[in-house]
Amino acid sequence: MTLSLALEARDLSQLPSRRDEDWRWTDLRGLIRELPAPSPEATADVSAGPFGTEGEAELLVVNGRVCGDAGLLVLREGEARVVRLRFVSATAATGHGVKLAVSLAPGAHLTLLESYEGQAPDYLVDAALNVRLETGARLERVVLAGDHAEGVSVSTASVSLAPGADFAQTVLTDGARRQRLETRVEHPGESAVVRMDGAYLIADRRHADLTTAVNHSGTDGTTDQLVKGVVADQGRGVFQGRITVSPGADRTDARMGHHALLLSDRAEVNAKPELLIFADDVACAHGNTVGALDEDALFYAQQRGIPEAEARAMLTEAFIGEVIDRIVHNGAREVARAWAAKRRVG
Amino acid sequence: MPAVKKTVDSVEALERYQHGFITTVDQEFAPKGLSADIVRFISAKKQEPEWMLEWRLAAYERWLAMDEPDWAKVSFPKIDYQDSYYYAAPKEKIGPMSLDEVDPEILATYAKLGIPLREQEVLAGVQGAPKYAVDAVFDSVSVVTTFKKELAAVGVIFCSFSEAVREHPELVKKYLGTVVPASDNYFACLNSAVFSDGSFVYVPPGVRCPMELSTYFRINAAESGQFERTLIIADKGAYVSYLEGCTAPMRDENQLHAAVVELVTLDDAEIKYSTVQNWYPGDPETGKGGIYNFVTKRADCRGDRSKVSWTQVETGSAITWKYPSCVLRGKDSVGEFYSIAITNGRQQADTGTKMIHLGEGTRSRIISKGISAGRSSNTYRGLVSAHPKAKGARNFTQCDSLLIGKTCAAHTVPYIEARNGQSVFEHEATTTRLSDDQLFYVMQRGLSQEEAVQLLVNGFVKDVLQELPMEFAVEAQKLVAISLEGSVG
Repeated sequence: MTLSLALEARDLSQLPSRRDEDWRWTDLRGLIRELPAPSPEATADVSAGPFGTEGEAELLVVNGRVCGDAGLLVLREGEARVVRLRFVSATAATGHGVKLAVSLAPGAHLTLLESYEGQAPDYLVDAALNVRLETGARLERVVLAGDHAEGVSVSTASVSLAPGADFAQTVLTDGARRQRLETRVEHPGESAVVRMDGAYLIADRRHADLTTAVNHSGTDGTTDQLVKGVVADQGRGVFQGRITVSPGADRTDARMGHHALLLSDRAEVNAKPELLIFADDVACAHGNTVGALDEDALFYAQQRGIPEAEARAMLTEAFIGEVIDRIVHNGAREVARAWAAKRRVG
Repeated sequence: MPAVKKTVDSVEALERYQHGFITTVDQEFAPKGLSADIVRFISAKKQEPEWMLEWRLAAYERWLAMDEPDWAKVSFPKIDYQDSYYYAAPKEKIGPMSLDEVDPEILATYAKLGIPLREQEVLAGVQGAPKYAVDAVFDSVSVVTTFKKELAAVGVIFCSFSEAVREHPELVKKYLGTVVPASDNYFACLNSAVFSDGSFVYVPPGVRCPMELSTYFRINAAESGQFERTLIIADKGAYVSYLEGCTAPMRDENQLHAAVVELVTLDDAEIKYSTVQNWYPGDPETGKGGIYNFVTKRADCRGDRSKVSWTQVETGSAITWKYPSCVLRGKDSVGEFYSIAITNGRQQADTGTKMIHLGEGTRSRIISKGISAGRSSNTYRGLVSAHPKAKGARNFTQCDSLLIGKTCAAHTVPYIEARNGQSVFEHEATTTRLSDDQLFYVMQRGLSQEEAVQLLVNGFVKDVLQELPMEFAVEAQKLVAISLEGSVG
């Protein structure tokens, strides 16, 4: 059951529903009553995306059609590149799917600045990214999901790594009518390193779902995950993280942290941090906290003369800042910081 | 550390499964299989009033329309519900009886299990030893309940479920199915249709139950399932501590145990519910046989400032699938869950708890320690949720898993659902193996590898063991040792 199947077959019954364990908090079948018409070819206003002119090249996808040079996503041995990948949904009340492949030869280094831009309401999008990293390749993926408040969007990245590869990602979102950003990683161990971070800042009635699954199949793998979220108004944040350590994947070191702040009485956070362990020589841990802003910290800030609203904003920004600080690419980090500052939902 | 010493001592006296014997006693069975007629048969056997039969039949109708759930991380061949006896009872008259009327074979069984059924035996124990009353359930019927008179003197009702239906229908009607509705889930629904016996406890307002109450469940008959139902009500300001124990013979077939436990606490009341689950786990090598323990346990903290504390030591069963839960409805009510789940051989366990915060200022605490060894699989699955009205709800959860050996599995699957901005939930989990350094240190002090493992494991589960009532703590500690036997080396 996936959105892409439903779009391809034009069959509502293919939509995942809350009865599907992996979709229990992001129900699409209950939400979508009819499938919209396929998105037309469109000439959208694509002047500048959220990453501006960071990087040296751009691959543009409008209404599911690749407009730029798709070859940008295939890196030869030892090549290094910073590429903006923009998914633009330009037409209201239509739906489309898109599939792209990213492949990095041994030793290649890609910084992928990926953005989702919703320019019209009521669209339905399914974006699938297939990523392959060969030995010693490095990918830093920074995702800025700027969907329309009335858009429905699912993005799935399937990542497979060769030994010694290095995959790092930071997903930033402010949600949509319903939105899911999913990443699945096949982790071979053998000194491959994975970092999977995320932050969600949700207000109004928006919904964002960050789902990740990492499967360690070999020895000596490392996964480090930090996801933080702030939810205000009637927003809803979902985090599902699964780390699997397969039989024989000894000396795996996997850590997962998810921490969320609820800023209103009607805000909602649902979390499921899962550890599935089939090997004994491992160090795996997860931590999960959900709560309100620290009253003591608020009091302290106010006592120093900072008005309450500003103090709240400061504290939430600092809270999310921990995730943003881990972005390696300087330009992307600054863009992310500005994004977070603008979306202070205190 | 006397507790540790106790474990080390018990290591020598170990057997694989000590309670696997079969009692030969004349038994009466309902015909094999499940139908509305069987439900009527059970109800008639229990001499139940019409309303009870209707309740059962309604549950049976619903059960027919339900699908068996499959989301737990356990796997087993499909159960043929028609290939089992739903009622098995020693051939004796039903109803309250004196000990002299009980089949001596059954008495001998309980003696062998170390369960005192003769009140004087309990009294003859060490001076000052805590007294506890026992309801002994043998297959489908309760054979005896001790200390009833003494309990009745303070107003506490402690009897078998069938007796409660006859003697206290108003209480049963008022509370039965209000915590776990008949249609709650597949196995609870099956239980509602065919439940045969169990314990009933009512503690009146302001009474602190003068002794520990306990029920001892024994499956004896072959090809049968046990479906008991327990209902405990602590009225305003009451307190009761209840212990549950269970064993079964070693058989090559799988037997289903689908019980329902309902707890109700009113204002300022407290129930402490402890379980030492030691069903036959099946053959450790082949995985043949053993009990399927699919149980629904739930507490409803209806009253303000009420409290329910679940403590469980899960060592037996081929498959354990249960989540003792607390619905924290009353203002400032408290739920606690302390669990040790040990799997060895080919056992599978998917167990944990649910803390559902509905009322203001409700608090809950979950401490779960899972240990897997052999080729077993051990999953902690837990839900903590806060309703928008549960302002100031707090939860702290700690789940630690310990892996012993290369072929076992340990999973942690917590669900957290927070629906208001004034609740605080904290969850932490770790999965590790026994540290080589610690093992080396302990063995260097002269302990064998097996003893060293047990010592470290006892340290690992200490937080939970100390929540158990004294007499259970000792038993639990022995069980930990037995369950892990053969897991190293």
